[in-house]
Amino acid sequence: MILRVGLCIGLTTEMVQLLKDNGIRTVLDLVSSDLETIARKCSLSYKALVAIRRVLLAQFSSFPVNGADLYEELKSSTAILSTGSKSLDKLLDAGLYTGEVTELTGAPGSGKTQVCLHIAANISESLKQRVLYIDSTGGFTATRLLQLLQRRTENEEEQVEALQRIQVVRVFDAYKVLDVLHEFRSTVAQEVVSASAPVKMVVVDSVSAVIYPLLGSRQPDGMAFMMHVARELKTLAKELGVAVVVTNHVTRDASCGQVKPALGRSWSFVPSTRVLLENNKESCGETSNRRIASLTKSPRQPVGIQVELDFESWEPAEDAC
Amino acid sequence: MVDGLGKAESGAQLLARLEGRSSLKSLEPSLFAEDGYPIHGDIVEFHGPEGTGKTEMLYHLIVRCILPKAGGGLEVGLLFIDTDSHFDMLRLVTVLEHRLSQSSEELIKQCLGRFFLVTCSSSAQLLLTLHSLENMFCSHPSLCLLIIDSMSAFYWIDRANGGENLSLQEANLRRCAQCLGKLVREYHLALFATTQTIMQKSSNSAESSGKHPGEAHVDYRPYLCKSWQQLITHRVFFSKQCHPGSAKGFSITSCHIHNNSVVKRPFSISECGVQF
Repeated sequence: MILRVGLCIGLTTEMVQLLKDNGIRTVLDLVSSDLETIARKCSLSYKALVAIRRVLLAQFSSFPVNGADLYEELKSSTAILSTGSKSLDKLLDAGLYTGEVTELTGAPGSGKTQVCLHIAANISESLKQRVLYIDSTGGFTATRLLQLLQRRTENEEEQVEALQRIQVVRVFDAYKVLDVLHEFRSTVAQEVVSASAPVKMVVVDSVSAVIYPLLGSRQPDGMAFMMHVARELKTLAKELGVAVVVTNHVTRDASCGQVKPALGRSWSFVPSTRVLLENNKESCGETSNRRIASLTKSPRQPVGIQVELDFESWEPAEDAC
Repeated sequence: MVDGLGKAESGAQLLARLEGRSSLKSLEPSLFAEDGYPIHGDIVEFHGPEGTGKTEMLYHLIVRCILPKAGGGLEVGLLFIDTDSHFDMLRLVTVLEHRLSQSSEELIKQCLGRFFLVTCSSSAQLLLTLHSLENMFCSHPSLCLLIIDSMSAFYWIDRANGGENLSLQEANLRRCAQCLGKLVREYHLALFATTQTIMQKSSNSAESSGKHPGEAHVDYRPYLCKSWQQLITHRVFFSKQCHPGSAKGFSITSCHIHNNSVVKRPFSISECGVQF
């Protein structure tokens, strides 16, 4: 934030020039320096500088919120969105929480996209909520989604309505993903009285596919971009009260050979909840529709809980725990 | 205004600054290598990889602070700076409910009234907010504790913004550290801040392992700016036990920076929060 005229009341052209001549160019420079020294060096009024500093601080700093007020607000705004699968809901402590980023990790073919589609179908069909689905791998198939919806309801009108509530965006690089997220946030912010129900879930399938190409050669830039995307996703979740679901690949730890989520340590802090999907080892046939889902990170539940998911029925035949 | 601090200060302001802060010694003695901490002015760093219980430990400290004296708490106010959009109010309330002997909505709100949350989305905003907090601490003598989760949140973005120049990369964080040092010193606060393990330990760690005992056996590589490192009076490393199923799944290694005493303690996390 460069100091310029019009930034705040009382900041005149002469003042900006005088400050600039003395090495005070930005708001941060002004705020963190000793005003008495500056007043003397620039021969400006100390009182005026104090007033400007106070206005700048009020304008650009963020304000403390009292915990009791925040709690009241959250009680009315937080929703738990059921995934439609009893076992997955159990794993997630009743479902997806709005305001949080949930990550699905797993090897190729472990069913990450299938889980996303199932959840999207449930949220749009049973809960009648809107979904923004960002597809970065081309893995989204409308026919599969329709198939899932047809299994839920035979009424064609309801199927069409459910499909209309799912907005799909196909983007194939990280910059576009960030654009889409920005645009989404600003349109929602502009809609004072929204005509339709607000979007309750945002899916990014897959986040690693677009971020991976950025990492490596010029490390800080790629990492910084990844953190921008992360920040956008988390802000979206908190500010708009949506549940964010992202998918991520897995890699193997070089030292101990254990499976861990891709995108490295910095990313590992981003999701609040992480679910690892794996093929069921006992029924390793390729036609198997069963996967093991284990909780590897959660703010509420003990990690390590496992459940079995059935992609055909989406309702577990039996509790395998 | 607080800018003239040290030169022109009313008696009331001086009192608010120095006398009002209660002792924090019974906050959580298990976190420290020696008895009698934290004292006013202490800056404690929580360091560890994801999922090792840092944030959960912060909830524990918050609840210890905001619980009424009758309920075994300290009954003091605190301010929490969330830079990662990671703070989970519902989890805090869950822990709080478990610690209250009889939890009523009224009592919970009373406790939460001692808690203030600020969210920051960039290092520039963090710096401006820290400067503006001076007023807050001045007008609320009950605030004894400042928590930042986390200090490393803007590391990569700042690094990329600073270009090739290391001093530019660190400029905002350095100023934040200076401002924090001043706040903590002048208002007799204690500061707890988390930093995330986002760097792998360098392969030739021989030079660092000799200096601080306790750092030798943990995956630790300081990467934040020097002005921050120099502020720290206690460093607590968090780790998760490799073999799951044991009763105490987590552990801390606490180092007193100035006299090099080290202690390692296991703890567990359950529905009702952290337990040593």
